[in-house]
Formats: sequence, C-alpha cells, structure tokens
Amino acid sequence: MNIRRFLIAAPTLITLVLLASYFWVPSYEEQTLGNPDRLTRFITASSGDASMLNPILSADSASSQIGTLVFEGLVDRDEQLRYRGRIARDWRIYQHAYFYVNDAAATARWGRVDAPTLAARLRDEMARDDPSWNDIEAVDLAPAETATRTVPLPDAPPGETVALDIQAPARIRLTLDTVDPNLFERLARLLGVDYFDTFDPTRYVTPAREVSQRQMTALARQVLPATAHNPIIEFYLRPGVTFHDGRPVTAEDVRFTYEAIMDPRNLSPRTPDYEPVQAVEVVDPLTVRVIYSRLYSPALGTWGMGILPAHLLDAAALRAEANARGEDPDTFGIRQSGFNRRPVGSGPFMFQEWRSDQYLRLVRFEDYWEGAPNYHQYVMRIIPDPLTQEMEFYAGTVDDYNVLPHQVERLSRDERFQHFSGTSFGYSYIGYNIRRPPFDDPRVRRALGMAIDTQKIIDYVIYGQGERITGPFAKQTDYYNHAIAPLPFDPQGALALLAEAGWRPGRDGYLQKEGRRLAFTLITNHGNPIRKDILAIAQDAWKKIGIQVETDMLEWSVFIQRRVNRQDFDALVLGWSMGIEPDLFQIWHSSQTGPFQLNFVGFEDPEADDLILRIRREYDLEKQVEYCHRLHQIIAEAQPYTFLYVGRWTALLDRRIVRQITTEDGRTVQMPIEPTITGGYTFHFNQWIKLPQAPLFDLQG
Amino acid sequence: MLAFLGRSLVQKTITLFFVSVISFLIIHLAPGEPSQINPLDPKFTPEIVERMRQEFHLDKPLHIQYVLFYRGLFSGTIVSWRDNLPVLGKIWERFLNSLLLFVVGTLLTWTISFPVGIRSAIRRDGPFDKSSTFIAYVLISIPGFFFAYILIIIVVTQLQVPVIGMYSFGIDTASPMVRLMDRVWHLVLPSILGATGGIAVLSRYVRSQMLEIIGQDYVRTARAKGLEDDTVYYRHALRNALLPFVTMFGLILPGLIGGSVIIESIFSWPGMGRMAYEAILARDYPVILTVNFITAVLVLVGTLISDLLYMVVDPRIRL
Repeated sequence: MNIRRFLIAAPTLITLVLLASYFWVPSYEEQTLGNPDRLTRFITASSGDASMLNPILSADSASSQIGTLVFEGLVDRDEQLRYRGRIARDWRIYQHAYFYVNDAAATARWGRVDAPTLAARLRDEMARDDPSWNDIEAVDLAPAETATRTVPLPDAPPGETVALDIQAPARIRLTLDTVDPNLFERLARLLGVDYFDTFDPTRYVTPAREVSQRQMTALARQVLPATAHNPIIEFYLRPGVTFHDGRPVTAEDVRFTYEAIMDPRNLSPRTPDYEPVQAVEVVDPLTVRVIYSRLYSPALGTWGMGILPAHLLDAAALRAEANARGEDPDTFGIRQSGFNRRPVGSGPFMFQEWRSDQYLRLVRFEDYWEGAPNYHQYVMRIIPDPLTQEMEFYAGTVDDYNVLPHQVERLSRDERFQHFSGTSFGYSYIGYNIRRPPFDDPRVRRALGMAIDTQKIIDYVIYGQGERITGPFAKQTDYYNHAIAPLPFDPQGALALLAEAGWRPGRDGYLQKEGRRLAFTLITNHGNPIRKDILAIAQDAWKKIGIQVETDMLEWSVFIQRRVNRQDFDALVLGWSMGIEPDLFQIWHSSQTGPFQLNFVGFEDPEADDLILRIRREYDLEKQVEYCHRLHQIIAEAQPYTFLYVGRWTALLDRRIVRQITTEDGRTVQMPIEPTITGGYTFHFNQWIKLPQAPLFDLQG
Repeated sequence: MLAFLGRSLVQKTITLFFVSVISFLIIHLAPGEPSQINPLDPKFTPEIVERMRQEFHLDKPLHIQYVLFYRGLFSGTIVSWRDNLPVLGKIWERFLNSLLLFVVGTLLTWTISFPVGIRSAIRRDGPFDKSSTFIAYVLISIPGFFFAYILIIIVVTQLQVPVIGMYSFGIDTASPMVRLMDRVWHLVLPSILGATGGIAVLSRYVRSQMLEIIGQDYVRTARAKGLEDDTVYYRHALRNALLPFVTMFGLILPGLIGGSVIIESIFSWPGMGRMAYEAILARDYPVILTVNFITAVLVLVGTLISDLLYMVVDPRIRL
C-alpha cells in the first residue's frame, strides 16, 4: 500500500538524514587540539550582543568590551590605578584664575587702587621670594570690555531667553602652574575677606527687557562671576600613532571626538563627563589644550574615552555616506553611520567581522604603537545561556568563563583551570526614606542595620562571594576608609537604641511609640533573586525585634518611576555600581534630593555637602583621600543606608594561556598571568598567548 | 468566490487596523520606557533623558506617535532604537535563520505524528497505543528548557561535538560538504526539541480523528463489502480524517515569524524569537511593533488560506 509505505518512509528518511550529519561534524578535539590556529585566537563569550561599536554612543557592556580593544584613549590607568599615557605621551595640568576688579571695595593691603595699579602690585607681590606664591607664573590685566549675550532666563519656562548688554569691568588673570582650589582664599589675605563677595555684577549688566530683581541677580552672577577657575589640561600626543586605516591620530581627532560627544544630535550618553569643558583647542597637530570652565578633578580620567577618526565621521564624510546610501544628508548623523557596525580606531585590535547575535571578530593591528598583541584574533561569541557557555568553556572552544557565585566553591578547586577573583565595583544596600518617620532618627536607622546579620546574607545568599562594606566608595581604592568598622550584628543593642529613640515593646510584642506601632514596607524590584532573599531575611530579622514589616516587589520600571523617582517608599533594597572616581555629588549631595534625582533617600548634611564639592574640585590626591575618609565617616555615622556587601567575581581561564614577552636582547620569556592590585587579570592582555601544553611553572590564580 | 475574497479582504483590513491600534496602545500602556541609558546611573541628568525621549518622539501625543510609527513602517525607514539598524532588514535576517528551524521542526512534527496517530487508532488500546500515549504525555509535560539541557549535556559529554549556534564555530575553512552537514547537525537538537511538543499533541489529535472516522457507517460498509484493512484505513478513512488537518496548514503560517525564545536562547540560535524577546526587555518599540504587525498579517493571511484550502478539499463547502 503506497500511502502506508510513504507514511513510514518519510519520517524515517528525514530522521536518518538528520542523524547522519553527525559523522561530518568536527569534534571538539579537532576544533581545539587538532587546529594550530586555535592557539593564536582568544575566544570569549558574551551573553548579549553589542549594539553600536562607537565609544561615544554605546553604554552596554558587550560594546564597551569590544570598544576598549578597537579604540584607545589619551590616557588610562596602570596596574596601581595611576594614570599613564596612551595616545598622549604626556600631559600638563595648570590653571588660569580670573577675578573682576571690585572698584567698590578697598583692598586690605593697598587700600583703594585702580585696576592697572592692582595688577602691578599683585605682580610685584608674586615676584618676591615668597614661597607661598611660587605657583603663580603670571599676572595679567584684561581690560574692560562690552558685549551682548543672549542667555536662558532662570526661573522661567525652558526656551525663554533674554538679551543682556554687558559692560564688564577690568579683570585680572593669574596663571598658575598647578591647580589650587584655594587660590582666592589665599588672595583674600591681600585683598580683604569681602573683596570678592562684595563685587556687585548687576551694575554692569543691562537686560533688554524687564526682568525681576531675583532673576537679574542670578543672570548677572552667571555672566560675570566674581571669581573663576579655569583649569587646563594640555595633552602632548605620541607621534606615530595611527588609526587602523593608516591615518595618523592628531589633535584634530581629539577635538573632533569632544565635539561629537557634545553635539546634541548624537545623543551621546557621555555628555555629563564633558559638560565642564569650556573649549578644546588644537595648539599644533600633536598638542591639544582642554580648558575647563570650573574646577573638576575627575577631568583627566574622562580622557580615557576612545578617540574617533575625524576623517571618517566629520560632516563631509557623513554627507558622502548619506549620498552613497541615498539618505537625506540633513538628518544623517554619526548615529546613522555605518561606522558603528565596522569601526576604525587606533587600539591594539582591528575590527574584522560582526554577525549579529553570533560573533564579533577582531584581528590584531600590526602597527600598534606599543607593538602588535600576541594573539592574532580576538573573537567574542554571543552565547546567551550560562549553561551552554560553561559547556563550551569545558570543551575548549571558549577561553574564559565568569563563574556564577554558586559554582565558585566547586570550580575554584578545579586543577584544570587558572582562576582569578576580585572585588566588584558596586555595592548592595537597604536605603531608608529619611523624610519619613521613624527613619528621620539616625538611631532607628542604626538599630535597623544592627538587627540584620549581614554576614549570613553573604554566606548563604551569595555563597560567600562578597565582603562587608561600610560606605559609598569602591573598596579597592584609597578613598575607602578602612578604619570604619561594619555595624555589629546585635539585636539587643538594636533594641536598646530603639528604646533610646522612644520605641518600646507594647503588649502585643511590637515596638510602639506614642501609641503607634513601628511598621513600614520594604520594597525592591522584581527579577533579582538575591534582592528577593535579602528582602525576606531583613523582614524576618526585624520581625524578631518587634517591627512589623511588609514587603513588596515591583516590576523594574514601575519600581523606578512610581516609587523611587517620586520618593514614595519607606525602605528599599537596591545596589549601586560605581567607578574609581570618588564623585558622590548625584547620590549624596543635598541639592539632589528632589523627585527624579538620585539622592532619593533624602540625605542632607552640611559638612558632607561641603566635602562632596571639595572632592570634586580638589586635584591633589592626598587631600582628596583625606576628604573622602571624612565623608565616608559622616555617612557611616548617619546610616542613611544599611550598607550590606560588595560582591566578588571569579573568572576561569584556560591553563595554557600565559603572558609572553620578548626582552630587549631578543629572548622570549613566558610568565604566568598575575592579577593587578584591583584583582583585574586582563591588564596585560596584549601579551597573552596560548601554548600547546600547559606550562611548567606553577600557576597560582 | 471573488465576492468571498473581496469581502474577506475588507474584513481583514479592518481587523488589521484594530490590531495595530490595540497593540500600539498595549505597548505604551506597559510601564517603563525605552532608553539607551539607565535611569539610575548617576551620570545622567534629566535633561539627557528628556532629549532621548524627544528623539524617539515619546514626548508627542500617542496618536501622533502612532502615525509616525506606521508611516515609518510602510515606507521602510523605521529603525531599531537599540542600534539604529533598519528594522525590516534585521527581521529579514533573523527570519531566514528561524525559518530553517521552523521548516525542519514542522517536517518532523507532521511526518512523525501521522503514522504514530494512525497506528494508535487502528490498534486502539494495544501496547503501541498505550506506550505512545504515555510518551506523548511525558513529552507534553516536560519543560522545554529542562529537556534541552539534558539533551545538550548528554550530546556534548558523550559525543564530544558542538551543538550550539547555527554551525560549528570556525568551520569556515572546511569543504562545502562538511559545512553543509555541519549545519544540518546543528539543526538536529533544536528542531527535535521544537517538534516534541507538536508531535505529542498532533499525534493525539490524529488518533482521535481516525477513531471517529473508523466508527462511521461508511467505514463499516467498506469493510462489509470485503475490502482489505489497508484500503479501508488508508484510502477511505484517512482521506476524511485529513480534512481538519488541511486547514491547519494555513494556521502554521504565523509560526514562521514566531520562533522560540527558549530554544533559540539556549542554542544561541540567532533567530526571531530571541530578537523579539530582547527587544521587549529593552522596550525597543519599533522592533516589537513591527514583529507584532507582521504576525497579525500572517495570522489573517493564514485564516484566508485555510478557508480557501477547506473549499478545495471539501466540495460540499461553497463560499
């Protein structure tokens, strides 16, 4: 019977064809050991695909990972976290400081003098052999000038502007060879304590139309600030550095990169870093000068940003590309450019191929200024599933694997791999809404922290892969104050503190004050099992000392928009990720407590505010560290957060991968890969290579 | 016939319009907004967030956004918010990848379900029927991701061959035959997994259809007049039992663009399901809405095709 035969034959045939294919598939053995090219390729896995391979546009981790290999910045940080030159071989940081001559006030030293005399007197003073003025290089007088400027009106709907007629008085410019945030305090010794404060800018500004007195004052202060610091960084670029297409990297490219970031059409997520920049000037092809409009000590670090090739992305290039693709040149910007799919940078690896959701392939750049990397290829495979990532790693078709916390115990003893681990940048915390009672009392916040056994959270929720943390700085940096002890786990002590704050056990077992029960809701976002566990542990711990706690989990965007941004919460579990820079302005300054701002717990402390601003303006590392330690202490005492832990990461690497360098006398030396002080192990990536056999020296991760 | 086609086209266009409005509204009602930046990142000021919203027209009223979106869709200029690539190009690329899985999976489902279902019906309550019923329920109940993990671990550790991706990584230099068979191999596990649920359900369905038909009077008549069993079952009964399945062909159509999120994620398959899923997580409205719209079109075209097919196979139906 034909139909019957067909019904049997069809599935059999299909199944046979499918299964027969097995005999053609290269086994793992052939792919890894039987393939000599495999040793010159580094293959890594990423769970998500990259989005745009352009350092000024992308914010996701896969794009950044590729970006750091293809692009290179002016500077980066070395093993000790100090800055070192990349495209820039050196740099100089100095400043110009300006103040307006205040003819309404008499100077303390010389009485009432006119502007040229004041400049001359200051110049004489600085020229004397007084060590306290050694850093002043020049004093100049900028004559009075008139100008017309149109500026946005303060306290008015956005878009409303006003034209100002400015008759600026004479201004004195001091050139310093360093950056001194306290310069004007020092000058006040000569000029008088009120000299700068009594300068009244409103006398020199005439608005074109009627504005209120308050707006007038704000406007005048804005256009004619009594004093101004203009820190300057001058970068001296390394000669002979080229982009992958052979064109040299010049000061023009640096200026272009800055302009591309600030161009509103590009919607770059990097703009906040460069907002204090007043101008980027090209001095000569290898010298670029960045002038800042105010003191901004994180400035140098922002120039780790990858430099874009101007000749491929400037207006002319974009216009040509738009025409070639038949698109409207007026709406065609860097965001639309094909550059983001096939980038050209000056980093150690050149872009070669990108198959969406499959892999990205880079090849080494032979003309890299520091010498080409040992690996010929760098491949990032997109493998979304952690289990298949792990299987591919065991099979040898992926070279590294980021271990999940629950696997650390098992895999860290595995002799087949090298392992590395370190502290993450970021911490988890419970934040309290300080505007609401009972959290307005620091004793209550401290007691709540003392009631939770944080060590247990670390041991059981994240399988021991974390460390206690006491404050808002990255634990592996100098800014973190190690002298501060974490809160002890002490429920009795917590009860005592609560009693001090007026909360005593009632008849029903719950703590009460003036007839009201101590009760609140602890919330967090959905989809994070660790936070969910913390929620349950905190609820249980607080219940044990007589606090009634409800918990709630919300979808991420609802959590952020309805609760966090509108400050509608009692307490929440969240985490911050952070960088090395100690700038805490957005999260801890009292000006950032409004809706949609990040100091949503409402922390306010005048001394902390002052320190936060000082840290931002201080260019001297030691002083910065000192301020940070004090700030850390203030925050730890106030306990606006219960600081929980910072996670630890662990990574595995094929044991055959080593660091290989060629010494000056031409010998090839192999050495084990060793982590840097921050725990990072990829610092010497360009010198890595895979050997056919595991090396003999004893590799200890 | 022509009148039916015309009427049906008008009806379906109206339906499509409502589908487009409703899906647009639902996406915008869902909490959360697309953003290439994290609202909790200290570096971002509200002004930047606002500028992003303006760029994506999110500050405009919904009906304007609706018009802007569908104008972009029909003129083919709509781009993904994530990487600024044209959405239609992205979908086409993934569609071809998912299509392979879909075709092999469907072939497996349909070719295996029929013999199994028919035999179960003919030998009703026999050992084959009982064991196939048992296996069918096991396959229906086992979670897909779990089954996938088990298969992967067995294949990788026992057979020592790669299973994820569309082909073995780094195969580009091998001979064409090896490359072809390698691609076939990479289809095996995901399509088997994609087919298991379908086989289990469809074979049950075939069985019950056959049972129903076998009990009919004309089948008894055919047997009474002395026809062979095979002729009775495979010529007379099967033809009639097939009727409902013919119409199901039309309904397969939307599956073309669906893809399977779980299978594609586990097997690193660069397909539609994974792209749509990631778009939903990132609130990439252009991608979500375009996939949604194409699916709606395919569902409507599919129902039209099944109407027409039904007419072709069953002469009693006149439209």
